[in-house]
Amino acid sequence: MKKLVLSMVMVAALATGADESIPDATPVTDPQPILAQLQQKMSALGSVYLEFSQDRQLQLFAAPLHSEGVMLIDRPGWIRWETTRPYRSILLGSEKSVAQFEFTDGRWNKLKLGFPQALKQVMDQMTLMHQGQFAALTNNYALSVATGAVTIVTLVPKDETIRSFLAALEIQFPPDFAGIQAVVMREPGGDFTRINFTREIRNPKFPTHTFDQTNPLDLAAIQAAAATPRPADSQ
Amino acid sequence: MVLLSFSFGLGGCTTAPHTQLQAPRQSFPPDALITQRGVLTVFGGRQFPLNGYAALSAEYGLRLVVTENFGGVLADVLLTPDGKTYVMRSSPTFKTEWIERFLAADARCLLGLSQADCPGESLGPDRYRIARRWYRLEVQTVNVAPGPQPLESFVPPVTSTP
Repeated sequence: MKKLVLSMVMVAALATGADESIPDATPVTDPQPILAQLQQKMSALGSVYLEFSQDRQLQLFAAPLHSEGVMLIDRPGWIRWETTRPYRSILLGSEKSVAQFEFTDGRWNKLKLGFPQALKQVMDQMTLMHQGQFAALTNNYALSVATGAVTIVTLVPKDETIRSFLAALEIQFPPDFAGIQAVVMREPGGDFTRINFTREIRNPKFPTHTFDQTNPLDLAAIQAAAATPRPADSQ
Repeated sequence: MVLLSFSFGLGGCTTAPHTQLQAPRQSFPPDALITQRGVLTVFGGRQFPLNGYAALSAEYGLRLVVTENFGGVLADVLLTPDGKTYVMRSSPTFKTEWIERFLAADARCLLGLSQADCPGESLGPDRYRIARRWYRLEVQTVNVAPGPQPLESFVPPVTSTP
């Protein structure tokens, strides 16, 4: 009897489930002009500091799983993805390697990462996306573009195995293509993760050791430096 | 987003533990969504950071979803109050047998549902270490959201047998 009640509840929940993360947008027949425009606009960005909030929506749980953090990108291929809540973790990537740190016992501990090449591939792709280099992603993804209140670049993995857990990756841009507004990762069963970029500082000068894979600089020091305008910005 | 297509090397061993972990069940509300962050250390010292999301129900059991850095689901398992284990989702990282044999047992230990076969120790408030022969798992509870969880989380698969 208990199983029957649970089954009925499950059917009802699935019937009422709706994905509110899809904005209105119309697919364009030829995405190339928009992709070229995006690349041109984003290639002007030397470095960027972004704060994000991430909500992972699983149908199993009543509330989304929330986390927050920052993403820093600098040329030529430096990236730092730091989760600040509800736990603390730093992912660092360069053109050559990746590293990860976990904050435990009041200090940062470097992990001896298993299979770092897989992580590096992801970090590389994140960097390419934030630099607007979508052409470099076409080996691994089929690209399409839709326009509306936001412009959405959708990347569908070409590899069937990857598609089994990542149905599509949607990157949302504001109308002026100033930067990435949000990223939505869709899974085959309807679950999705939405990353909203809430604050952006363009072309900050990051202090030494921001991307150091042995002893990364504390985030507070980076934030203080990033918020300081460069001399050229004040002219 | 990332495919960590590896399998854990079970051909070696780490130091065999001598103590039994005693995570108190009453440290969690009877119904809650619990978020945990963990690091799994396997043979050779390779480490894998993991997130665990556990829907806890006093009446229906425990549903645990384990993900990697970017949210990809590595394992999804339902543990019912009658002691049965249902693997709802496995992955190249966490194969079904591994989930049934180790992950389910560790979840019961870490959430205080069982104190049998819990080799490990408390590392501090909300921090525990499970240390089995083949691996070491350090877990910290980072968020507890009390309240009833969706009943559909606790429905065993119709065709599966534990």
